[in-house]
Amino acid sequence: MIRLNDLKISYRIGGRTIDAVDGVTLTIPDGCIVGIAGESGSGKSTLMKAIYGDIQHPMYISRGSIDYDLSAADGRPVTTETIRQEWFKTISYVPQSSMNSLNPVIRIGKQFTDFPGTGSNKRRVLEKARTYLGKLGLPPGVMESYPHQLSGGMRQRVMIGLATFFQPGLIIADEPTTALDVVVQKEILMLLMELQEEMNNTILVVSHDMGVHYQVTHKMLIMYAGRVVEYGDTESVFADPQHAYTKMLIDSLPTIGDDSMRGVIASAAGAGGDRAFRVEPGLFEVKPNHFVARAAANAGVLA
Amino acid sequence: MGVLRYVAKRIGLYLAVLFIGLTITFMLPRLMPINPVDGYIGQLQSRANGTLTSEAIAEMRTNLEQLYGLNGNVFTQYVSYLKRVVVDFDFGPSFTYYPQPVSAMILNALPWTLGLLLTATFIAWVLGNMVGLVAGYFHKKRAASILEFLGILLYPIPYYILAITLLLLLAYIFPVFPLSPTFPVGQMTPEKLGMIFYNSLLPGITLVLAGFGWNILSMKALAVATTEEPYVTYARLKGASNWTRMMRYVFRNALLPQVTALALSLGMVFNGALLTEMIFSYPGIGLIMRTAATGGDYNVLYGAITLSIIAVATAGLVIDLIYPLLDPRIRHK
Repeated sequence: MIRLNDLKISYRIGGRTIDAVDGVTLTIPDGCIVGIAGESGSGKSTLMKAIYGDIQHPMYISRGSIDYDLSAADGRPVTTETIRQEWFKTISYVPQSSMNSLNPVIRIGKQFTDFPGTGSNKRRVLEKARTYLGKLGLPPGVMESYPHQLSGGMRQRVMIGLATFFQPGLIIADEPTTALDVVVQKEILMLLMELQEEMNNTILVVSHDMGVHYQVTHKMLIMYAGRVVEYGDTESVFADPQHAYTKMLIDSLPTIGDDSMRGVIASAAGAGGDRAFRVEPGLFEVKPNHFVARAAANAGVLA
Repeated sequence: MGVLRYVAKRIGLYLAVLFIGLTITFMLPRLMPINPVDGYIGQLQSRANGTLTSEAIAEMRTNLEQLYGLNGNVFTQYVSYLKRVVVDFDFGPSFTYYPQPVSAMILNALPWTLGLLLTATFIAWVLGNMVGLVAGYFHKKRAASILEFLGILLYPIPYYILAITLLLLLAYIFPVFPLSPTFPVGQMTPEKLGMIFYNSLLPGITLVLAGFGWNILSMKALAVATTEEPYVTYARLKGASNWTRMMRYVFRNALLPQVTALALSLGMVFNGALLTEMIFSYPGIGLIMRTAATGGDYNVLYGAITLSIIAVATAGLVIDLIYPLLDPRIRHK
């Protein structure tokens, strides 16, 4: 379980402070896949970075906190301060650009063991990783290969293998399928779902693709301008979206035979410019496990 | 077998480059309107105040043409030239130091030049890359900009100014090193070796400083660009240490263009020899070339040019053979 308590994350740039995430309070239960959607600049990546614990200048947590219900190997609770020691042990990460996220001049096997999370017995890790990658549908020679010898799908499988190999309690996947073609995309998503079912851990998936969210996730988190506009069970969110922005995102999914959205741009669809969907911090439960935010009182003022 | 084919191909290319280079060196002087034998005979004639008979001149001409491989038509000249240069490594005698053979002069001077310049170039490369790597990897830290400043400071100083300044400073004002060093020849003894090393230090230091700045700036720029690569970010998010990321991720990738630069500068080593050896009266190829150029000593120039061609082509071969070891993307093509 991860609890975000009135979380506000800011960037200090020059003399200015920009609040990228502002007043997010929510609870992510254990053992579920949570999809995060929202336009570019809505604070998804910043929120993911904060949860992952990758907080470095100029980004900082200006208010609130993150509670992880995870414990480290020595039994102590994981906090924002200690989470770096848990990277790829109890929390791991699948990057967006699988094509360039592996070092081109080092063999894959070596990249499985060159960080502290692997522990000291590198040989045993390598051996187990070899079998593990085999289970993920990768050919046996992968550990001895260089990244350029693998296809994009294979590389992303390696990334997922690396992220899941140490059985972390939480995985953050930042647009894990963006660079892949639809067939490989589906394979990768199925793999991620299978692994999640096996390990019963929590996965946060950032994606712009509402179709991916609908297929893969248990819960949906919709962000807009640094705030959460809607959060709830995926079924419920898709069946009965409460907020206008969520509705718009869902409507953006093309339906066969429906031409009504053709040629309509987002701000026009929202009718009121890019500030039309601004909300107050704080969520209200409209149905069991389905929360929505209230429209901001003065929508015209930038947060 | 891929590796053998690759190596064989490169070596074939290398030999082809050498062959073309030697051919051009053969052709170029023959396109010039001046005949060196005429010039030489004219010189002798004027020295003898015109007392040489025409028979003596004709005899001398045959002798000289034979000596310098100028008899027969162009094709026979070319074949005998190739045979002399490739098989015997013989460029004939020097004009100025007649009858000393050019190949002996070059072979005597070569270890001096190579010993000093290769070592200095290599040290400058290693140091410059290390400093540049740290400056580039930590480019967001203020302290790192001091390292970069070192490069910006050193790079634009012309070599001769740097060399003369250091000579003034370290040999004249503070006489740490000899102003006109002596380099003993003959049988090597430990004392002689020590003396050579000590006397080579000052030219070596100037060469290292001159090459250092460029290497810092170049490596710094490459390292900065590489730290922004997704695989370096990903390594950081895996929790890999700064050392691992700097050496295995940034350095290994930023190194590739720098190896090319090193090999090219090693190939150009004779260019640097001239100034260094003149300023520090160091007995290498540079001095020989200078004397040959001012004295019109064709054979020595031939030899030196051939040597430069061999050096540049060899540097190219070395890059081609080393690169696949560093970059698997080339190895597995």
